[in-house]
Amino acid sequence: MDAALKQRANELFQADEHELHKHTDQLFAKLMIIQWVAGVAAALWISPRTWIGDTSEIHIHVWAAVFLGGAICGLPVSLAWRQPGHPLTRHVVAASQMMISALLIHLTGGRIETHFHVFGSLAFLAFYRDWRVMLTATAVVAVDHLARGLFWPQSVFGVLTASPWRWLEHAGWVLFEDAFLVISIRRTLEDMFEVAMRRARLEGTNVEIERQVIERTAQLSAAQAQLVSASRQAGMAEIATNVLHNVGNVLNSVNVSAEAVAGKVRQFRLGRLQSAAGLLSENRAVPQYLTDHPQGRVLPDYLGKLAADLTETQDAILEELASLRSNIDHINEVVAMQQAYARRSGVVGTFPVADMVEDAIRINNAALHRHGVNLERDYDTVPPVLTDRHKVLQILVNLLSNAKHAMDHNTGDKLMSVSVKPAGPDHVEIIVKDNGGGIAPENITQIFSHGFTTKEEGHGFGLHSGALAARELGGALTAQSDGPGMGAVFTFKLPVNHPDIR
Amino acid sequence: MENTVSIRKSAIGTLAVSALWLVVVLAGMFFLLRYSQAAGLAARPPLQWPGTSLVPRPADRPVLVMFVHPQCPCSSASISELERLMAGCQGRLSAEVLFIQPAGKSEEWARSGLWQAVAAIPGVRARLDQDGAEARRFQALTSGQTLLYDAAGTLQFQGGITLSRGHEGDNPGRSAVAALVRHELSNPAQTPVFGCALEAAETPNGCVACKP
Repeated sequence: MDAALKQRANELFQADEHELHKHTDQLFAKLMIIQWVAGVAAALWISPRTWIGDTSEIHIHVWAAVFLGGAICGLPVSLAWRQPGHPLTRHVVAASQMMISALLIHLTGGRIETHFHVFGSLAFLAFYRDWRVMLTATAVVAVDHLARGLFWPQSVFGVLTASPWRWLEHAGWVLFEDAFLVISIRRTLEDMFEVAMRRARLEGTNVEIERQVIERTAQLSAAQAQLVSASRQAGMAEIATNVLHNVGNVLNSVNVSAEAVAGKVRQFRLGRLQSAAGLLSENRAVPQYLTDHPQGRVLPDYLGKLAADLTETQDAILEELASLRSNIDHINEVVAMQQAYARRSGVVGTFPVADMVEDAIRINNAALHRHGVNLERDYDTVPPVLTDRHKVLQILVNLLSNAKHAMDHNTGDKLMSVSVKPAGPDHVEIIVKDNGGGIAPENITQIFSHGFTTKEEGHGFGLHSGALAARELGGALTAQSDGPGMGAVFTFKLPVNHPDIR
Repeated sequence: MENTVSIRKSAIGTLAVSALWLVVVLAGMFFLLRYSQAAGLAARPPLQWPGTSLVPRPADRPVLVMFVHPQCPCSSASISELERLMAGCQGRLSAEVLFIQPAGKSEEWARSGLWQAVAAIPGVRARLDQDGAEARRFQALTSGQTLLYDAAGTLQFQGGITLSRGHEGDNPGRSAVAALVRHELSNPAQTPVFGCALEAAETPNGCVACKP
């Protein structure tokens, strides 16, 4: 057997034994008090007063029960309270218990029935699981009977001429009970030691388990660090996807604007201007040419019309350039927004809802014009909302872009409406409606899922991230459609003052 | 080091207190034992049945007369021993138990629990001894005093039928009476009697043994 294991088992066994002794001491302390009270009650019941003719006084048994009984119980109670578990305590308890037996036997007039107290006490003392305690109790009984047998045999044996060895008969019956109790104590102690051995083994197992847990925890920590790193990379990829998606939306508009500017530039009537310049250079006498020559007389009007034409083209180019600048600004916003997202913070403030909707329309404006979308606006008066402007813009640009795409294959009019309405006292709704291809009933629950798309070149990211962003803003993004070809309505519900937005 | 000395002092102190406690408790037990062994005053009964006694005496069998203080707690043991004695004698013995009723005490006081116990014993008659007249006649001084007169009215036994105060159990008094009734013993016998004093006037001052 492992020496360390046995030593640990011994320690545990001794600790258990000590606890058992303490607990039994406390039990006996209570029992002592109960026996004391019972002794006084017995004395008051059996022999309350002693008489001399017609006068009486308190019987000496009452005083004995109070004072002698109190003295017998006093020390064990005190030791059990002050030194529970100490060996002396349980030996004093054992001696006291036997003395109480003697006192109770005396107070009850030597009744045979009271003698059972001795045997009951021995069984109770066996709670200590200490054969030495039984020895003390037995010794007290034996010495008591020996002394009485020698000096007052009638007080214990009932006869004046008892055999000098009769005390051994009485002590023998006590030993008879002791024998069984000691065997029981031995077996119980063996069981206790077996339990201690099991606990010691269990402790050893626990130590090994703890060591393995620490080792596995370290491995898990390393794995977690790797996972965090991988997640960060994955997160960066997600951010990149998001950026590309949103920037891609805007780049469509940028392309359209750039194409429009290029078209306008190509439309410049530079040939006519060169012709006019040639006529002027060929005719050096410009004033005469302008007044006398038939071509010279119409040249100023021609130049005026040409200037007007160029001015109109310039205005169109400037308008497209403004749109282009706005788009580029939005690209900046998208990039900044994704950076903010990456840092878990956004641009928060109180913004008019209509302004944010108009910004989104402006970003998509060129594309909407190019595709001939007829846009209607219906803005109710709603309070400004405390929100993250960039996220709102991201959602709206995506909704407008989706609506435009949905109407790509329309043969008739392309009708889109954007409306702003209050929704209860604390929310506003931005509703984007189109008369495009609509959504099949089986798809209506999936359109917000990541990776789901019905567009040929879609990524299934826009509505998914839009729904997530709406939720982060304390709002919701919902879709409704009567089916394919019936158009769709997307409702972006937004709280006026979301407490978590700050 | 100081801690070890302190523990040793504490252990010695506890042992000293325990030893003192043992002495006190043993002294108490000794005193109690001594008290229980202290006999009351013995009677000086007439050797022949007094003719003036109102207690009837059967002519065909011995009669036992016991004097009892109605409130004496020690006499409960005497009555229990009487019950055993009567059971052992199987109708060969008559018994009269006289309960003292001092002047000024009611009959109810005299008919105590002991009276009920006596009345329940077959062959035993309980009687009131008003003002202790019969006790004086038989010169009984202590509760539990037992006298045995044979069929001829001669005193055969005087004393108590318990071994000590209020303690039941085999005792020489009961054994002697039983032997006399069964004619197993021919000589008169005497034993100490344990119980309360029947009358205060009869208790001499300074006599420890007379104290109840």
